Amino acid sequence: MKWLISLCIFTLWLQADEAQAIIKKLEANLRGDSMYATMKMIVTSKRGQRTVEIESWSEGNTKSFIKILYPKKDQGITFLKLDTQMWQYIPKIERTIKIPPSMMLQSWMGSDFTNDDMVKESSLEEDYTATLLSQTQSTATLELIPKQNAAVVWGKIIIDVDVVNAVPLKETFYDDRMQQVRIMTFSKVELHGSHKVPMVMELKPLEANKKTNSTKIIFEKINYDAKIDASYFTKQALIRYSR
Amino acid sequence: MLFSLAFRNIVKSKARSIITLLLSTVTTAFFIVYVAFTDGSHFQFIKSSVEIYTGYAHVNLNGYRDEGGYDTLIEDADRIDAILKNDASIKSYSQRFETYALLSGDEKAVGSLVAGIVPSGEKDLSKLHESLIKGAYLEDNDTNQIYIGSELAKRLKVDVGDQIAMVGSSIDYSFAADLFKVKGIFKTGLFEFDSQSAFVNKSYLDTVMLSDNMASYFTLYFHNNNTIDKMTTHLQTSLPSEVEVVNWKILLSALVQAMLVDSIFNYISISIFFLVIFFVIMIFSYVNIYTRAREIGLLRALGLSSKDIFGMLFMEIVLLTTLSIVVGTLIGASIAYYYELHPIVISGIAETYKEYGVISDEIPMNFDLFTIIWNALTIFTLNLAAIIYPISKINKLTAMEAMRYV
Repeated sequence: MKWLISLCIFTLWLQADEAQAIIKKLEANLRGDSMYATMKMIVTSKRGQRTVEIESWSEGNTKSFIKILYPKKDQGITFLKLDTQMWQYIPKIERTIKIPPSMMLQSWMGSDFTNDDMVKESSLEEDYTATLLSQTQSTATLELIPKQNAAVVWGKIIIDVDVVNAVPLKETFYDDRMQQVRIMTFSKVELHGSHKVPMVMELKPLEANKKTNSTKIIFEKINYDAKIDASYFTKQALIRYSR
Repeated sequence: MLFSLAFRNIVKSKARSIITLLLSTVTTAFFIVYVAFTDGSHFQFIKSSVEIYTGYAHVNLNGYRDEGGYDTLIEDADRIDAILKNDASIKSYSQRFETYALLSGDEKAVGSLVAGIVPSGEKDLSKLHESLIKGAYLEDNDTNQIYIGSELAKRLKVDVGDQIAMVGSSIDYSFAADLFKVKGIFKTGLFEFDSQSAFVNKSYLDTVMLSDNMASYFTLYFHNNNTIDKMTTHLQTSLPSEVEVVNWKILLSALVQAMLVDSIFNYISISIFFLVIFFVIMIFSYVNIYTRAREIGLLRALGLSSKDIFGMLFMEIVLLTTLSIVVGTLIGASIAYYYELHPIVISGIAETYKEYGVISDEIPMNFDLFTIIWNALTIFTLNLAAIIYPISKINKLTAMEAMRYV
């Protein structure tokens, strides 16, 4: 009997260790020291479809600069994220405004992402405890439960991973009552430098009133480990690079 | 014969009768005034909350209250406007466009409700105009002028004449941004409202938000807001099926719940009051009846049955109670009526309870005939119920026992 219990505990430990290793590999693949990208964001809602073209520069997980290229009405609007703070510059009124905490759960650019999604720095590896639910030769399904003191909003995440390319296939997000809240799917994996990247991400909220909503992000250009001028991550950049 | 005996006893024992009359009269008057005061303060409370901004009823697209946002806007506001214009039960109405936007002064940015209103129309529907404390209220031809709450002005560190930047989403979800000049500052006393609300002339806000001929909802004021359920049910029949009428009982459900809890505590107080009154009357009647034990024994010896004695004593209390209830009701109702017309003023009450929506130091009583009648009948029934035990107790004594009773 003791042997059986020991074997079970050992198997669980091995599984947990393997799950953590998969997450670590996935994050190492997706995260570069710096990244430059251009992308299209297609927002679908009851009111129709809308496309936004974006150019972005980022350094690690804490600094990023975003510029809106299209539609023309929003052209030149810039966003700066430093740690957990976010500013925006609106050329039409020539004002730089810091987004207050009370606006963090508001939609970002009318999409299904919130301002909070844009500034959060959570790491799947550091903030969640992973458990392996199932595995095939090329895929694995993991359950991620937040660690006790992690500053995250989700009750849990179920993630399907392409273990060969170390990219996510699907993420299902649950709230603290363990209700499914949104699903993010990833597709069209491409090799960029030493990183394999899903070039298309689609977020679908699951709330009853948002059944027809979705936000699709299509990367057009990705340049990992690009040399980015430090001036992009200053408040002056909001006006300077708006033009 | 029993009536004559009862009447003779009342007249003969003047002191006893006067005390019974006074006790019952004061109780009736006090009860009517108490209920009129508590009902009056509730109605005043609700009136304040409803009339500050919410309004007595809203007409909005189905689902707007649950989902909000731009997916449930009334897209053809003119069509609804035409229907409301032809409804004779509506005294006044106006459309509003509400959005949540970022307002920024020179130093600080705050998330706030930004509502497009028809300034002239709002004068009859809300207290926005009356709540002005600095600057001026909006006009129908204003462009980029903004009317903000006093607490919001403090948070943004702006004053009349200063500039505020607004950044939000227009209805196609593109950026809506503009600069506004603070035209006026208002203070309703509702802290949350004063710290998170700003108003702009709707026709101008529509150009910024691309919301021409659109409305979040219409706010209504009926000729008779006391029968709001009937009014809203009637109006619903003339509106398209995708549009609903919601009255203040649903719009301010949290307030209604709070009033319900308060009413429960009032009923507990009233029950204790009833219990005290019941025992006071019963003990007083008990003492009264036993001081008349010899008299009752004599009547029994003369041939009156216990049923006759019961009838006589009961008749006495019916006569006294009827008289006192009539007098007490007249006094109580007069006080309630007077203070409905000339409300009691408690200085400082609005300041103390401003966060609950109390905007006036005046507390009117509620003069309602139906309530007054049930109040009076309750005291009448209590009086009669309280006499039954003492009468039945004395009736258990034989004629001899009663005559020897000391």
